[in-house]
Amino acid sequence: MKLNERSVAHYATCNSPPDKTGFLWKKGERNPTYHRRWCVLKGNMLFYFEERDSREPVGVIVLEGCTVELCDSESEEFAFAIRFDCARARVYKLAAESQVAMESWVKALSRATFDYMRLLVRELERQLEEAQQGALSQQAKNKPKKSQVQGGTGGRSKPTSLQGPLTQPTGSPEEGLLSLIPGKENGVSWNKPAGLSNGVGEGSGVVWEAESRGDSVRPPPIPPRRKTPGGSLEDPVSPGTGCFSKLHDWYGKEVAELRVEWLQSQ
Amino acid sequence: MRFNEKELIFLSRQPSERAAELGMRGPKKGDVMKRRLVKLIVNFLFYFRTDEEEPIGALLLEQCRVEREDDMAFSIAFLDEAERKYLFECDSQEQCLEWIDAIIKASYEFMRKNLIFYRSEIHRLTGKDPLEQYGISDETRFQVSSGLPPLPPPPT
Repeated sequence: MKLNERSVAHYATCNSPPDKTGFLWKKGERNPTYHRRWCVLKGNMLFYFEERDSREPVGVIVLEGCTVELCDSESEEFAFAIRFDCARARVYKLAAESQVAMESWVKALSRATFDYMRLLVRELERQLEEAQQGALSQQAKNKPKKSQVQGGTGGRSKPTSLQGPLTQPTGSPEEGLLSLIPGKENGVSWNKPAGLSNGVGEGSGVVWEAESRGDSVRPPPIPPRRKTPGGSLEDPVSPGTGCFSKLHDWYGKEVAELRVEWLQSQ
Repeated sequence: MRFNEKELIFLSRQPSERAAELGMRGPKKGDVMKRRLVKLIVNFLFYFRTDEEEPIGALLLEQCRVEREDDMAFSIAFLDEAERKYLFECDSQEQCLEWIDAIIKASYEFMRKNLIFYRSEIHRLTGKDPLEQYGISDETRFQVSSGLPPLPPPPT
């Protein structure tokens, strides 16, 4: 099957920031030896390079439809695997260089699918609509007088790169975002990676203070360890799980139990 | 460059966001317009011969530019080779516009920008970070200033 490989490789090395990078040991495709590879996770693709400064990737693993699991390896510590659900699918065996690195990679890879991002976006879209409804009804209640300054939300400075049409509640937040995309004369939009000219830019100095974390949130536990090797695994993203918080709880339950088990065994 | 072809082929059989028979012409000189079954699944555009199960090929829809070419035609070009365009012919203006819209929204990076925007807006309106409840606020993937470490809180 053909693939626009040059452009895919370009996605790996272009200026949009990767989601995670680092060295991993990867078991060879044909021979069983592990090779040290520089790995770049971007979106739903895991690229691997021979060296950190290699210009082109040796290969890419498209992560859609995969599950990431810890695995026991005789030769490698901190091993994990990327497994696919289809018939005669490959299992990609990888190993990190520390426990921390392994957990970090497993987490990052499990959250890399398009589906995950899509669920999250839809959930936030819904939350934003709710918040906008809330703000509208609040405005209706507070009739602004000339002498009174609209308080807003505690004097927090607005993200400077989100001014203009987006600060007014629009019908659909997506429309608001799309209106920022510089259109061509015939009304066509660019699918530009390096930020929009006046919109949600990367590194454009968005002012958003991180909330002070008095009660720090613990990082979420790593995804479930699959005990049955091989075979088709139950797809966690079942068609029924349209709700992100339910999906998140689903992951969370099994993981919480495993974590307790693991901690007790230490 | 190696890629997990089997898994991609499996992906091409999943339910699509959008699928239709369109005219398609490749970017090389001498390529001619052919009727293809075109399927949009996540951030890939698969294209099939109309009577075949396995796709001829796939286009990853990142770093690409979608342009209206005609009343009923659009093109996809990739930023690293902007002159090489894949041309698609639709059966109506409406279909053409729908495809353009769908393809633009199909990129992972586009979704990420949406997410970052929604996150900022919700934070602005409610004072709360919506990702906090899922414990993923610190993931590089969702950072407001994409990829850069989160900004330190300003001195009070």
